[in-house]
Amino acid sequence: MEIQTRNEANTTVITITGRFDAVTAPDYEKKVQELIVGGDIRIVVDFAGLDYISSAGLRGLLVTAKLLKAKGGQVRFANVAGTVKEVFDISGFGTIFQMDATVAASLAAIA
Amino acid sequence: MPGKSSIVIKLVLVITLCSTLIFAVALGYNYYSSRSILEKELESNARNLSLSLVNRVETELSVVSRVTEGVARALETGRYSEKELHTLIRTTVEKNPEIFGSGVAFEPYAFSKTSRLYAPYYYRENGKIAFTRLDTSYLYVPYLLWDWYQSPRELGRLEWSEPYFDDGGGNLAMSTCSVPFYGETDGVRHLKGIVATDITLDSLTKLVSSVKILKTGYAALLSRNGMVLAHPLKDAVMNESFFSIAEARNDPSLRELGKKMVAGETGFIRYNSLVGVRSWMYYAPIRSTGWTLAVLFPEAELLENINRLSLIMGVIGFAGVLLLTAAVVYIARSITKPLRSLAEATHVMASGNFDLELPVVRSNDEVGVLAQDFQVMKESLKEYIKNLTETTAAKERIQSELQVAADIQASLLPRQFPAFPERSEFDIFASMDPAKEIGGDFYDFFFIDDDNFCFLIADVAGKGVPAALYMMVAKTLLKSEAQRLGEPDQILAYVNKTLAIDNDSCMFATVFCAILEISTGTVRFANAGHNPPLVMDSQGVRYLALKSGFVLGPMADTVYETERLIMQPGDTLFLYTDGVTEATNLTDDLFGEPKLLNALQDGPRQESDQMIHAIRDEVTRHANGAPQSDDVTMVAITYRGTVV
Amino acid sequence: MRIGYLLLLFVIATAALPAAASETPLKKVSLALLWSPQAQFAGYYVALDKGIYAKHGMELKILAGGPGHSPVQTLNNGTADFAILWLTTALQQRAAGIKLVNVAQLVQKSSMMLISRKSSGIKTVADMNGRKVGLWGGDLSIPPRALFARHGIKVLEVPQSHTVNLFLRGGIDVTSAMWYNEYHTILNSGVDQEELNVVSLSEQGMNFPEDGIYTLEKTLRNNPSLAEAFAAASLEGWRYAFAHPDEALDIITKRMREAQLPSNRIHQKWMLNRMRDLIMPANSPATPGLLTEQDYRAVGSALQRGGLIRNYPDYATFTGRHRAGEK
Repeated sequence: MEIQTRNEANTTVITITGRFDAVTAPDYEKKVQELIVGGDIRIVVDFAGLDYISSAGLRGLLVTAKLLKAKGGQVRFANVAGTVKEVFDISGFGTIFQMDATVAASLAAIA
Repeated sequence: MPGKSSIVIKLVLVITLCSTLIFAVALGYNYYSSRSILEKELESNARNLSLSLVNRVETELSVVSRVTEGVARALETGRYSEKELHTLIRTTVEKNPEIFGSGVAFEPYAFSKTSRLYAPYYYRENGKIAFTRLDTSYLYVPYLLWDWYQSPRELGRLEWSEPYFDDGGGNLAMSTCSVPFYGETDGVRHLKGIVATDITLDSLTKLVSSVKILKTGYAALLSRNGMVLAHPLKDAVMNESFFSIAEARNDPSLRELGKKMVAGETGFIRYNSLVGVRSWMYYAPIRSTGWTLAVLFPEAELLENINRLSLIMGVIGFAGVLLLTAAVVYIARSITKPLRSLAEATHVMASGNFDLELPVVRSNDEVGVLAQDFQVMKESLKEYIKNLTETTAAKERIQSELQVAADIQASLLPRQFPAFPERSEFDIFASMDPAKEIGGDFYDFFFIDDDNFCFLIADVAGKGVPAALYMMVAKTLLKSEAQRLGEPDQILAYVNKTLAIDNDSCMFATVFCAILEISTGTVRFANAGHNPPLVMDSQGVRYLALKSGFVLGPMADTVYETERLIMQPGDTLFLYTDGVTEATNLTDDLFGEPKLLNALQDGPRQESDQMIHAIRDEVTRHANGAPQSDDVTMVAITYRGTVV
Repeated sequence: MRIGYLLLLFVIATAALPAAASETPLKKVSLALLWSPQAQFAGYYVALDKGIYAKHGMELKILAGGPGHSPVQTLNNGTADFAILWLTTALQQRAAGIKLVNVAQLVQKSSMMLISRKSSGIKTVADMNGRKVGLWGGDLSIPPRALFARHGIKVLEVPQSHTVNLFLRGGIDVTSAMWYNEYHTILNSGVDQEELNVVSLSEQGMNFPEDGIYTLEKTLRNNPSLAEAFAAASLEGWRYAFAHPDEALDIITKRMREAQLPSNRIHQKWMLNRMRDLIMPANSPATPGLLTEQDYRAVGSALQRGGLIRNYPDYATFTGRHRAGEK
C-alpha cells in the first residue's frame, strides 16, 4: 500500500492505493497519528486507488476515527467503491462513516 | 584436505618449471655453441692434421719424382754408355733409401739396333742392391704393356702407377713413378724410353695407419682409382675400392663422396665412417699421385668432453632446481601454514563452533594482519550468534506458546461430529483450519433449550495474540449471553456493549448469530457485519438477505435486528468467513464467491460434512500450494424436519 | 704362413673327399684355365670344392692361367687334359693344326665391349676412327678388328694389358673390356655408367661365343666318357654356383687369397652374376653347355672372311659328335 498526503483547503487529503490489510494497516495508523499530533485534524481519505481492505484495515480506520473524535477532528471518505464498498456495506461501516462520491465533495462537506 | 597445498604446489610448479626452463635453455645454448666452436676448431685441426700428413707423404713422393725426373733429364742430355747407364741406375737406388728399385726401359730398338728390348733394373734385396733385366725377367708380358710403361708413354708425362702387388711375391704393395725421356733424330723429337722408379707403399701406409685420433679416429689413404691403400679395415686394403664398398653397402652417397675424393677435391664432412662410426672427416688430395688422404674424428669422442661437461652442468642444475624447490616449499609453507591453520579454523567455525582458539600468528606481515582481523571477526560473530541464539530462542518460545494457544483455541470449538447423533431433525458440521499464525475465526453451536439451537460464526479482526484473546472473550460472552437472552439481536447487542468497554484499540469481530427453532424450522438471526451466509433450498443457492449491522466491539450503542428465515426440511444454511473466498493461489488470484457458489451447487448437498469437505478440497486445489493466509472457517446446518 | 697352412688343409680336404665318396680309384684329370682364379671360373672351383668332379669319378687339378700361361700349349703338351678356350682361339688353333674338340660351350655370347668416355665425343664405332684404342693381344683382338674392318675405319691400336688404368688415366680413348670384369672395374674406379659410351660386340653382329671346354681329339678318343663326365660335372658346378652365390663367392675369394690376388667380393659377385647371364641367358633357346651349329658356323665363316683361318672343320668333327662312330 502507498500512502500519500497533501493539503487542500485546510484539509489533509490522504490517498491510499493498493491493499489495506494487517500488514499495511500499522503504516496508515502511524501516518494518521502523526498528522493528528501535528494538528491536522481535518482529514479526507481518498479510496479511489484502493483494491482491497481487510478487517485489520477496517480496524485501522476505526482507530484513527476514534483518535480524531477525541481531538475534535473530522474524517470523511471519498471514492469508496467496488469490493471495498461491499466490505463497508457488509460490516456496517458504511453506516458509521461519512462517505462522499468525490474528494471535492468530501472537502466541501468538511468545510 | 583438497587444496591444502595448492599455493605451495603452484609456487613450486611455476618456479621450478621456470628455473628448469631457463637452465635448460642456458645448457642447450652452451652445448650448441660449444659444439659449434668445437666444430670450427675441429675443421682447422683436421685441416692442419691432414695437410701435415699430406705434406709428409708428398715429401717422400717428391724425392722419388725428382730423382726419377733427374735420371730422365740426364738421359736426355747426356750420352751414356751401357756401363754408365748401369752406374747411374745403381747409384740412384743406393743413394735414395725411399726407392725400392729403379730401371730404365727402352722403346724397341731404341737402345741398340740389334736387340729389340732393353731394360736394366736395380733393386733392393736382403739389404743389398740386386740387378735384373726387365726385358728378360718379365716372361710373358713384355714391359711395353705394363701400366708403368704405357701411361707415361701415352701421356708424355710423369705418372705414378696405380698401386699393385709386387710380382715377386711378398705382400708388398708397390707404386711406380715413371718418366718418359726423349731423344732427337734429324730434329725430330721421339720417345726413347721410360725411367721407372719403384717404391713400396709400406712406409707410407704405416705413416698413415699410425695416426691415431682420439681413441678410435684414424687416417686413411685412397688411390686415384679409389682403391683403399691404408685403412683400419685391413681386409679392404688393396682389395676394395671406395666404390666397391659403396656398391656392397648399396650407398649411393658413399659413391658420390668417393667421386669427390678421387677428383682431387678437399672437403670437411660429417658422415658415417666405413667402420660405422659417426665421424667428421677431412679429406685432401695428394697432388703428385692423385691419391686422397682422409682423417676421421669420431663425433662421440669429440663431443665426449662437451657431453661430460653438459652432464655435470645438468646434474648441478638439477640439484640446484631441487634445492630451489625445497626453498620454495619452505617459504611457501611458512606463508601458508598460518593461512592453512586459519582455513582449518574457518572450517571449524563454519560448522558453528566459535569457541576454538585461533592459531597465533606472530608475524607482522599481511598474514599476521589477516589473523588479527580474523580474531576480531570471530569475536563479533560469536557475539552476534549469541544474540541471535537468544532472540531465536525467545521467538521459538513465543511461537510454541502461540501454537499451544492455537491448540487451546481450536479445542474450545466443538469438534465432535456428528455433534448430536440423537437429534434427527437437523445435522450440523463445522470446520476451522487456522492459518499459520494464531487467528480470530471461530464458530460455535449449542442448545439454548430443547427446541432452540443456537449456531454462530465469527471473525475477529486482525491476528495474533490480541485477536485470540478477543476471540476467547467474544466466544465466552456469546455463549453465555445466548443461553441467557435467547434472541440473536439481544445477544449481539449485549455482547457488543460488554466488548466496547475500554476498547481503545478498536478490536472488533463480525458475527452471524442464528437460533433454529427445531419444531418449526424457523431461523432467527442477527448479523454484526459478517458476510451473509448462503441458503440452499429447493430454489437453488442464494445469499441470505439480511441487514448488515455494525461489527461487534467498537461502538457500545450499536443496535442489531433479528430477522427470520423458514427452513424447509432439506434446506441448508452455509456460513463461512472471508478466509474461504479470499483464499489465494500463487498468483494472488482469489478463490472468490462465484467459485464458491458453483462448488456448492455442483457438490454434494445431502450431508453437511461432505459439503464442507468438498468446499475445503476446492479451496485447497485453488491455493495450489500457496500458503494459507487466513483462517478458513465453515459451518453448514441442514434442517431435516421434525420426526412424525 | 697362414695361407700356406690353409692351402695344406685344402689339399688334405680335396685328397680325402674322393676316397670317402667312391670305392673305385678316381681318374686324375687336369684343367687349364684362361686366367688366374676369379668368378669367371666359379663353376669349376665350386664343382671341385663341393666334390662334384669326385662324384663323377674324377680327381681334378686346376691349373690357373694368367700372364705367360697358354692353355692351348698346356693342353697340347699334355700337361692338361682339358682347357678353357674361346671359340675363336680354338678355331684358330685348330686351323694351326692342334686338334681341339669342343666338349662344352659355356659362355654363349660375346661379353666383349669397347668403352669410351662420353667426354671424348665417341658415340659409335665409326667415331673411333683415328682414335687410340686399347686392344688385348692375341685372339682377343679378333672380334674388334673384325668390327673395325667391317666399318672400314682405322684406329690407333695400343696394346692393352690386364688393367684399365691406361684408359682411366686418359692414355687411350677406347678400351677393350669384358662385361663381367673390366666394365665393372671402371665403374668402381669412380666413373659413372652415365659418363661412359659402351659398344657391346654382341650387338654389333660380333656375337662370338667365348669360354668353352676343349680337349684334344686323341684324349676324347681314348676316353670319350671322361669328356662327357667332365662336361657334366662342370655344368653341375656352374648350376650349384648360381644357386648358391654366397658359397661360390666364398670359394672364389679363398682361391684368390691363396693366389695372393686382390680379392674384391663385390666385383666377384658382379662377375658371377654376369657369368650366369652369359652361360644361362634368360629368354634364350640355347641349351646350357651346348655349342649350337649356327653359332659355330657364324664364327667360323667370320674368321674365314677375315682371313684369320683358311678353313674350319665341320660342326660334328669340332664337337666330337661323330666320336661314337669312330669308336
